[in-house]
Amino acid sequence: MTRRMAIAVLSLAGAFLAIYLTLYKLGYLQTLACGTGSCEVVQASRWSKLFGLPVAMWGVGFYLAMFVLAAAGSFGRLADSPALARALAALSGFGVAFSGWLTYIEVARLHAICRYCVTSAGIVLVLFILSALDARGHASEPE
Amino acid sequence: MAKSKAGKKQSGKNAVRGTPNRQFVAAIVVVALLGVGGLGYALSHRGPSVIVVDPNIPAGAPQGHLMGKADAPVQVIEFGDFECPACGNFATITEPDVRTRLINTGIVAFHYYDFPLSQHRNSFTAHLAAACAADQGKFWEMHDRLYAGQDEWSDLIDPGMTDPMSVFRRYAKELGLDVKTWENCVTSQKYTAQIKGNQAEGMRRNVQQTPTIIIGDQQVNGVSYDQFKQLVDEALAKSGKAKADSGRKSAGGKKGAAQ
Repeated sequence: MTRRMAIAVLSLAGAFLAIYLTLYKLGYLQTLACGTGSCEVVQASRWSKLFGLPVAMWGVGFYLAMFVLAAAGSFGRLADSPALARALAALSGFGVAFSGWLTYIEVARLHAICRYCVTSAGIVLVLFILSALDARGHASEPE
Repeated sequence: MAKSKAGKKQSGKNAVRGTPNRQFVAAIVVVALLGVGGLGYALSHRGPSVIVVDPNIPAGAPQGHLMGKADAPVQVIEFGDFECPACGNFATITEPDVRTRLINTGIVAFHYYDFPLSQHRNSFTAHLAAACAADQGKFWEMHDRLYAGQDEWSDLIDPGMTDPMSVFRRYAKELGLDVKTWENCVTSQKYTAQIKGNQAEGMRRNVQQTPTIIIGDQQVNGVSYDQFKQLVDEALAKSGKAKADSGRKSAGGKKGAAQ
């Protein structure tokens, strides 16, 4: 399995996690299955929304974009595309910065940690590492 | 040798360009099945839904929640709705001064009566949450938390907020309530009759909007502290005059009797 395939698989897993958190935020789930941590504190905070939409919903969009790019870049003509590799690296780099900021809010402002959010931040970090390696691999090849 | 390495690399790329890799497809299918299954499970094992007021529970006797000395010279009644923004403003802006200057000093006895409006979807549950906190001696703490946190659970502010219980549960935890007992009380609608009774009392008094505040014989809506104080002073003056009148009458009666 190539790095891009791994990115696609991981992005799909992240999308389901973000969908779960979005369903909670939209009120379709009464409680988060959260044995430890303070998911409800985090999900009820004012930082759980961005531009009127739940942050988790933006997360769904992010993961689906990563999935589509990585899956499309796993086969055919796009498999050799350095531009696509750079796009994946840039998108996941933005994801790392954003989830880093959210983790800072959890620790420094809310003093509450949501394990789903931490898991998502971990997935984003791995996606960035894989994307950066993929971009580096394609940078050394002639276009 | 170099040629053979290049050839291998090329063949690897060709493999990628070919039909989708089996491992990849299998991994996608597994993740998709787990994801859909997990979400399906979570949706089918939801907790109790937002409380629907049981129409079979009749209205009970009205019973407000008292703050201050019951025999204070001025009796004040508020008919409030926890989800009403104007009630939230009154509770968070005016009421702190009222408490410090008029209730804690023994001038005012403040009675809160439930008046949840039907257009506020999460309000009745909030009133149950407060009544059940009262069971554990923390009505006013929950009252304050609910009003201060309206933006976290109000359906008016956040139309997606269909499960206020997750927020109320957190409040109960923060206030140190026995959460299990409190939640059983809320979900069993133990205080529905009392809340309906308070609503009926409001309707009997022709309450048209919330908050409605009755100070002595004056019925007003959201007021500032200064207006509130003025009405309390008027009520005090009236009660003082009434006392003086009754004192004079009684003294006159005694005098007459003595003559």
